[in-house]
Amino acid sequence: MGPLGLIIPMEGGGAEDDAHHWPPGVHSFDPKPFFPDAGMDWLNTYLLQAVIATVLVIGVWLWFAKDQRVVPGFKQWIGEQLYNLVRNGIGREALGPDYRRFTPYLVALFSFILVNNLFGQFFLSMFPTFSRVGYAYGLALLSWLLYNGVGIAKHGLGGYLKLMTMPKGVPGPLYAIIIPLEILSNFIVRPITLALRLFANLFAGHLVVIVFVVGGSMLLENADFLYKIAGGASLLMAFPIFGLELFIGALQAYIFTVLTAQYVASSLAEDH
Amino acid sequence: MEGGVGFDLCLRVLSYLLSGPVLYGFLGWLADQWLHTSPLWMVVGIVVGMAAGIYLVVQRYGRP
Repeated sequence: MGPLGLIIPMEGGGAEDDAHHWPPGVHSFDPKPFFPDAGMDWLNTYLLQAVIATVLVIGVWLWFAKDQRVVPGFKQWIGEQLYNLVRNGIGREALGPDYRRFTPYLVALFSFILVNNLFGQFFLSMFPTFSRVGYAYGLALLSWLLYNGVGIAKHGLGGYLKLMTMPKGVPGPLYAIIIPLEILSNFIVRPITLALRLFANLFAGHLVVIVFVVGGSMLLENADFLYKIAGGASLLMAFPIFGLELFIGALQAYIFTVLTAQYVASSLAEDH
Repeated sequence: MEGGVGFDLCLRVLSYLLSGPVLYGFLGWLADQWLHTSPLWMVVGIVVGMAAGIYLVVQRYGRP
């Protein structure tokens, strides 16, 4: 890229002769180790972002919780509003009177996903952590353990499996067909779709951003005047796309948390 | 379990309708590989899976 390339953030861009990074594509999402020669490939941008997000989330909530007063100051008021958003809007909505036990997990989950999604727009990182599918699987695994654990704790192992896999009113022989289907649907498809929804939204969204920004800057450097116009338009369009990405990042954090709460609710439900 | 809540409910119905044909279609495909009857059992499996998925949705959520 020419001098113009220096002022345009180009994730996964790089020089044209670098065959591994040009043109940008799915490989732009490959993790980038900090010390490629030291044999510490696990220490990459994604891990660092996840760790920073963890520290940030813990720190912010501890800060909100410090010096609580009966009459809240501004800081405490903001913290309470955020907390209530998840507690009332997600926890109580889905879980009813049981919500209190699960609120800490839901709040942590929501803020962790939200911060990680915002890293996709933050100018120093420019990558959402969950555009790497493994991180999304990790979170879904946590939620999977939670809703199954809660169900087993409440109904016992046998009772829980019966609740999840044996709907009432089915004639005996049909269970042979129904039960494998229920197991697949309840224990495999649900957590996987939970993870894939988060991953795919952020991955696709970020890919669109890459195409607009890098493609736009490439067109802008072209000698042809019409290409320059198209490139400028593409770069301008990148800003609405960034806005859309902000919205989608927040929305996906919300949806992941809502679904976790609803899965827990369905594990806790009595068989009517 | 019956009823379910909100957004989860629609996803659950979708998940049943999809897993049915996928699961039994796959089992049928395996049977075809084994018996060299392709694609007889896969077709049978997909139809059976669809029926099972629809039946399950009606059974779980179709009643008031």
